[in-house]
Amino acid sequence: MAEAEPIVFVIDDDPSVRRAIRRLIGSVGLQVELFGSAKEFLHSRRPDAPSCLVLDIRLPGISGLDFQRELAVANVHIPIIFITAHGDIPMTVRAMKAGAVEFLTKPFHDQDLLDAINVALERDHAKRKQEAEIAILRQRWESLTPREREVLPLVVSGLLNKQIAGEIGTSETTVKVHRGQLMRKMGADSLAELVRLAERIGIPNTKP
Amino acid sequence: MISANAALPGFYDHGEVARSVLIAIAASYAALDLTGRVTAARGRVRLAWLSGGAIAMGIGIWAMHFNGMLAFHLPVSVEYDWLTVLASLLVAIFASSVALYVSSRREMGLVEALAGSVIMGAAIAGMHYIDMAAMRLPAVTRYSPLLVACSILLAILFSLSALLMAFDLREETRWSVPRRLGSATVMGVAVSAMHYTGMAAASFIPASPPDLSYAVNISSLANNGISIVTLIVIVAAITTSSVDRRASTEVERRADEALREAQAKLARVTRVHAMGELAAAIAHEVNQPLTAIVTNGNFCLRELAGGGRNLEELREAIAEIVNDGTRASTVISRIRTLLAKGAPERAELDINEVIQEVTGLIRSELARNRISLLTDLTAGLRVRGDGVQLQQVLINLIMNSIDAMRTVTDRPRELLIKSAKHSDEVLVQVQDSGPGIDPGQVDRIFEPFSTTKAGGIGMGLSISRSIVESHGGRLWAVAEPNGALFEFTVPTQD
Repeated sequence: MAEAEPIVFVIDDDPSVRRAIRRLIGSVGLQVELFGSAKEFLHSRRPDAPSCLVLDIRLPGISGLDFQRELAVANVHIPIIFITAHGDIPMTVRAMKAGAVEFLTKPFHDQDLLDAINVALERDHAKRKQEAEIAILRQRWESLTPREREVLPLVVSGLLNKQIAGEIGTSETTVKVHRGQLMRKMGADSLAELVRLAERIGIPNTKP
Repeated sequence: MISANAALPGFYDHGEVARSVLIAIAASYAALDLTGRVTAARGRVRLAWLSGGAIAMGIGIWAMHFNGMLAFHLPVSVEYDWLTVLASLLVAIFASSVALYVSSRREMGLVEALAGSVIMGAAIAGMHYIDMAAMRLPAVTRYSPLLVACSILLAILFSLSALLMAFDLREETRWSVPRRLGSATVMGVAVSAMHYTGMAAASFIPASPPDLSYAVNISSLANNGISIVTLIVIVAAITTSSVDRRASTEVERRADEALREAQAKLARVTRVHAMGELAAAIAHEVNQPLTAIVTNGNFCLRELAGGGRNLEELREAIAEIVNDGTRASTVISRIRTLLAKGAPERAELDINEVIQEVTGLIRSELARNRISLLTDLTAGLRVRGDGVQLQQVLINLIMNSIDAMRTVTDRPRELLIKSAKHSDEVLVQVQDSGPGIDPGQVDRIFEPFSTTKAGGIGMGLSISRSIVESHGGRLWAVAEPNGALFEFTVPTQD
């Protein structure tokens, strides 16, 4: 599937810092969008593209750390690079524990910021790809019949057709047909692959 | 002395009368002097001063009276019943202790003063007439009721004036000694007037010889002895009191010095503390332009490394670098002014410049707390003072306001700074829309170590007030219904 252009969001209350960061990031060919406050960012329409957030800790109204938590609560999972004038260790630890990509002290080294942005975009890209794959698998799972959904967990638990037939009270031949159907629908070439796909969408083995 | 028809003629020895007046003045001086010591002392020391003082003073008053009586010579031999004389001495000591007790209390109301003077006056008059009753002579003593009443009234009036003078003079001031001497003279003369009125009230009618058991003849040698011992006691009391006063003045002076030193140190600590609070704000203030400069600089280097074709972008970035550099240096020069140490300066200042320097420094702190700053400055207000110290006062008041408004969520957070001319002073007001000051606390908040803040040490307002007062101005708080209002004045330049 086609990926949209990656974009970097910058939130800093100082217009001159914002403009400087836009120039720097723009010089490596990335798209940049600037915001003066957390509120502005929340109210903006963000494109569906790999993105990351360069966030000043010290913002008017809300601290960057609180904003990080607010985003997590609102289910906005965007990689965050913190920039701050005076980062102390507890602050750094808190930010990194909450999933920040990097914690840079102002004035930062330009390459450090660009590297962090690359890592963040890469991470977001990978995450989005994974999410897309899972979405597809979920769609496939949705396309299974109720009987096939009943059979699949038993198959990935390693039961033989005969055992499955006994388990759900049907004939071995019928199980064989279901099995063929669900392998095809889930796009699995082998039992091993089916097990892996089932795991990714969180279908547990019913029998140990 | 004019007496009834058959009264014995008597005469006064003027030298002895003068001596009795002198003793009265000395005793009065001792009384005034001791009141101050009794007032200054606490607990057992106070009790010691009170009883010692009462004894010395009582002996003085008594000796004055007894001397005055001995100064009166009758043509018959006069002896004295010593038990009665002793009783009169005890009454004099009692009168003195009442005087010392009443005049050394923290406050003396009209009731206390009147009650004290009635007791004291009655006791002195009692002492006088007990002494008269101690006389043993071949005559009957007759009293003129009018003069007796007069002498009692005089005793009470004298006591009242003595209490008022003693109360008024107990504080140590530069003019204490001459004022005490003057008052002591007035008091001594009053005591003598009372005494000789009492003497005039009596006339002696010849009669059969008296009962002379317990009676002693007071020779002129004994008379001299009484005077000398009395003067020694009074001088000892005054000397002790003055030594004690000097010692305690020395202690006070040292304590004052230590306090001043401690305050100066605390002022420095608080300044550093205030700087600590501000450091974060200032670091941010300097770091922002630096970040922009470094980032723009790096952008330029990258552009140039790539051939530098986009000249317009490069020009813009460099112009911003220049702007941000200027911005950073402005902040730094403000900090330098703020940190400037040393003796307070007195220079001609525009109070509005002081205010603007401070608001420039705390701008980001205000923004961060979503506080809007309103100023209403009257132009051309020149004062004489130390700009750094006045800035410190303003920063302290503003930081207090910021802290106070943190809890405000139901109304706009506003800080209003006003400057205005107020007769021959400049008035500066700092008003916030915080929870305000409890009206009962308006004066307490200026006391050292009184704080309403969790992390505060409670020195800010106390030091601010001493700074303003050292400029010849005043700093006070007003309990407003919406928020706190602090006002201070500084005398104008001319």
